[in-house]
Amino acid sequence: MGGFGECSCDHCEEIMQPYLDRELTPEEYAEAEAHLAGCAYCGKRYSFEAELRVYVKTACREEMSPELKAKLVALRLPEA
Amino acid sequence: MAEERESEPRELAAEARNRVRFEEEALELSDQVYRVARRLVSSREEAEDLVQETYSRAFRSWQSYTPGTNMRAWLLRILTNLNIDRGRRLQRQPEPQPLEEGDYFLYNRMEQTAGGGTDVERIDDRLSQDDIVGALSAVPHDFRDVIVLVDIGDFTYADAAQILDIPIGTVMSRLHRGRRILKRELAEKVGES
Repeated sequence: MGGFGECSCDHCEEIMQPYLDRELTPEEYAEAEAHLAGCAYCGKRYSFEAELRVYVKTACREEMSPELKAKLVALRLPEA
Repeated sequence: MAEERESEPRELAAEARNRVRFEEEALELSDQVYRVARRLVSSREEAEDLVQETYSRAFRSWQSYTPGTNMRAWLLRILTNLNIDRGRRLQRQPEPQPLEEGDYFLYNRMEQTAGGGTDVERIDDRLSQDDIVGALSAVPHDFRDVIVLVDIGDFTYADAAQILDIPIGTVMSRLHRGRRILKRELAEKVGES
């Protein structure tokens, strides 16, 4: 993977997901860390992404009704 | 089939115990199964039907589950197969090619539209729970299924690959693209408000 040359922020955008998912090689990871340490622009966007993932998860959470749970229990096979 | 086999009473009792244990374990997972199911389909009714159908099938074919393996993934595999079959029956229109933007797109949009004094980073001030749910349901199925399994259901890539019967590389690329599609949808909601 290319280094953090002239358009390093574009590259940072490109590797944000693999970075947060810990899919980068240790070298790529260290390179990204070095860029992020000195770049508030990318830093803000990375932490926003991490928060967004948590928010999506909580916002999409909907619990099942007790009625459905009772129906599932009733689906159990009769005792042999 | 088990019924045709001539079994000693002791064997039958052991089998009944295994079955009860299976049913109890499966029922304990039902909350988690429902949460995933709810986001794979568009309505509560559909999710309830799908979960019931899944459990009815799981209880009937409990012997095909290998003890010690991931039962939650096993149940979700049944559920997604049922959901895919149902989708084929309904013969949905081919889905339009989703529009995609870069990973910074949503943040940039929020920054551009932030009024004075609004903190860009406060996601929940700018996007409601309904915005998130609405944006997710606008993501095409192939991408949404992976987001729901990995980001909402906490399944590993390997589990998601097994559940959806696709290669792990496809799980990763759909997840990455799907999150971008989701953020583009969210950016529209930020623009609306």
